[in-house]
Amino acid sequence: MLKDITLGQYFPADSVVHRLDPRTKLVLLIMYIVAVFIVKDIWVFGLVLGFMLFMTAMSKVPLNYVLKAIKPMRLLLPLMFLLNLFMIRTGDTIVSWRFITITTGGVRQALFIVLRLIALVTGASLLTLTTTPVSLTEGLERLLSPLKIIKFPAHELAMMMTIALRFIPTLLEEADKIMKAQLARGADLESGNIFKRAKAMLPILIPLFVNSFRRAEELALAMESRCYHGGEGRTRLKVLKFGWRDLWAILIMAALIAAVVILQSNLDIDGYIIGLLRPLWTRSA
Amino acid sequence: MPIVIEKLTYTYQSGSVNAFTALKDIDLTIKDGEFVGLIGHTGSGKSTLIQQLNGLMQPTSGRVIVDGYDMSDKKQRAKGRSLVGMVFQYPDYQLFDETVYKDISFGPRNMKLDNDEIDRRVREAMRLVGLDFDEFAEKSPFELSGGEKRRTALAGIIAMYPKYLVLDEPMAGLDPAGRRAVLEMIDGFRSQLGCAVVMVSHSMDDIARSAEKVVVLRDGRIFTCGTPQEIFSLADELYEMGLEPPFAARMASDLRRRGLLLPHGIYTNEALAAALAEYKGGRGNA
Amino acid sequence: MLSVRNVSFSYDNGSRALNDVSLDIDRGEFVCIVGHNGSGKSTLAKMFNGLLLPTEGSVTVDGMDTADDEKMLDIRRLVGIVFQNPDNQIVTTVVREDVAFGPENLGVPPDIMAVRVDEALKAVGMESYAESAPHMLSGGQKQRIAIAGMLAMEPQVLILDEATAMLDPMGRRDILNIVRELNKQKGITVVMITQYMEEAVGTDRMIVMNDGSIVMEGTPAKVFARGDELRAIGLDVPPAVELRELLKQMDVADCGDAMTLQELSASICRSLLKN
Repeated sequence: MLKDITLGQYFPADSVVHRLDPRTKLVLLIMYIVAVFIVKDIWVFGLVLGFMLFMTAMSKVPLNYVLKAIKPMRLLLPLMFLLNLFMIRTGDTIVSWRFITITTGGVRQALFIVLRLIALVTGASLLTLTTTPVSLTEGLERLLSPLKIIKFPAHELAMMMTIALRFIPTLLEEADKIMKAQLARGADLESGNIFKRAKAMLPILIPLFVNSFRRAEELALAMESRCYHGGEGRTRLKVLKFGWRDLWAILIMAALIAAVVILQSNLDIDGYIIGLLRPLWTRSA
Repeated sequence: MPIVIEKLTYTYQSGSVNAFTALKDIDLTIKDGEFVGLIGHTGSGKSTLIQQLNGLMQPTSGRVIVDGYDMSDKKQRAKGRSLVGMVFQYPDYQLFDETVYKDISFGPRNMKLDNDEIDRRVREAMRLVGLDFDEFAEKSPFELSGGEKRRTALAGIIAMYPKYLVLDEPMAGLDPAGRRAVLEMIDGFRSQLGCAVVMVSHSMDDIARSAEKVVVLRDGRIFTCGTPQEIFSLADELYEMGLEPPFAARMASDLRRRGLLLPHGIYTNEALAAALAEYKGGRGNA
Repeated sequence: MLSVRNVSFSYDNGSRALNDVSLDIDRGEFVCIVGHNGSGKSTLAKMFNGLLLPTEGSVTVDGMDTADDEKMLDIRRLVGIVFQNPDNQIVTTVVREDVAFGPENLGVPPDIMAVRVDEALKAVGMESYAESAPHMLSGGQKQRIAIAGMLAMEPQVLILDEATAMLDPMGRRDILNIVRELNKQKGITVVMITQYMEEAVGTDRMIVMNDGSIVMEGTPAKVFARGDELRAIGLDVPPAVELRELLKQMDVADCGDAMTLQELSASICRSLLKN
């Protein structure tokens, strides 16, 4: 039944990572993204991805769940790889045949782009796997709340996200019922060209919109009746508290960034590997 | 020819961990022109069952045959479906077009009827549901009252001249006068169009009035099936199941418990009053 | 507690929904308002906590005028309202957090709020669903959550605006029992708007509305004695009263003002078995 759909991709488990404050996790993600973007050498990705594996192990989320996030990019990744491989011509030439030229710079850039994307996507995915949409919303609201000074609508944004999360299953169920009601009247949703099909969707979309507006109106009345008057003077049932583990997590992430910075400016392992492999192509060329 | 349901079983998300069997081993026949009342508490499988009747859902195993058309077969389903008119609980799921006229004609247009025939049917349907043509035909369905919306939704199905009319809680949320009006309309469809009616309702008082056969579903199985007399003699049991048996049936059973010897098969207030009058008269004579 | 003084109300499109209505509801009373669709009963319900303001006349809650903006939050805290559609009044994705929505808006400190939320859930028998997602609950359960959401604000009045109309018989029975209990045990004033006549039986007072005016008022026994007048305005009497009328007409038994199955059954037996 449509009712049973789970939103987001939260993987329930009891782990250190799950128990981290959502605010901490959002900050960690930002720090991680910074770490990924300051990486300049390929070998340093080993460090970053190693850290990713470590966090995944700590979270008790099976690795293949985290890797699933790469699946939607299964076309994009090879394309990016090949484009970079053939387009970039810096460093030594490895292969040169007709119009195809592969250079060490090309290989490096191709690997670099792919690894960076994988690192980013798996990191974001680990966050959503270990945090429910509700606490994510909550974390976001509180992280952004200092911005209220510059009139940033942090509370309103979070309220909208909460209501959306609450009503998506309800609306899906309703869409299903409307579709059935129109199918029963002989609506044909499957044949015809794209314009015909778009037009055939109207009998479903119109009731869905009309009902949603009525829902919104009723919900507004219900919220008003429950003394809702914006974010001002509001308290929350759940109190978020930073603990020692949040501090530790942030320190560890800071250590990763430091390691990336220090190691890549002092150790040129990429150059060393290229140097080792150079005889392979200099001889053939 | 009837609707024949044979050994029907339906499982949601069959094969997955969330698999849930909503219907088990249902055998049921709905004859031409028959009025069948379908009763069951929320989650008993009655919504699933009526969606099988016009092929909106297909059996996991077993068969649904509408006038000889097997609803599991994609080609035959279209033909079978055109015989079964389905009215859902809330008219808001159905109304979409600019005017009441256009909305009611949606079904007939999908049946590819010619314009004269469509016009004739829309007028006939509006007459049967008691919507004045001149007043309502050009109105937007969204500016109607709740009761008028329901009539429009009903007319949209009636205009398809279904041989079997399936109604899911057609009286939900209506006031007493509205409920009476809908029941009278349904009787009107039967006598004037000769269609069979399958009506799902929580209120057995509503079903008791016109049903010839009553089916009670429980946990996806047919708990019991028979004439209203037979079914409503189980009034106390039905009440315990969370259903609402006719008041008169529960009353009669309570009176019997208190030692009043009343005949069985009473389920309307009129019949109960008559039986009590007879009881009093009989005792007076004795 | 609630006082409605010569209230009239017209919607923006000019249609008049209430016509010079006056009404007082005392602390601890259980009042039932009936009327057909469009009789103005739901408009009246929305007057009680200032969702709608009278075009003419005034509504006061515990002495506070609903037209006074300053008092709006105090009024809404005192007067909880449960609406018809169970889906459209639950705001968040977890039951417990939804019940806390009202207290959160009022700025109740978290530790006190947690106690109130748990008590409210217990009062409606939903404590074991505290961590559930609302969209997985049945209609009756959702309405219980909606009631709990009101109780957590510690209201003195509970308005049910056709709160049972979309429920199955089981859900309806549950809600009625809970509301009766709240009225009796906690002394909460209850105003129940409904079109199911059976639900009026057992309340302290019935108010019958038609075309925006109050046409009858009194104990259910008194109102249901006027069955023909009720039917004339599109309403009905409970089935027990209908049977009682029939028996009287046919001169089988006079069952006084019995309104429930139990009362009527006992009364019939008294008159038919004993003498």
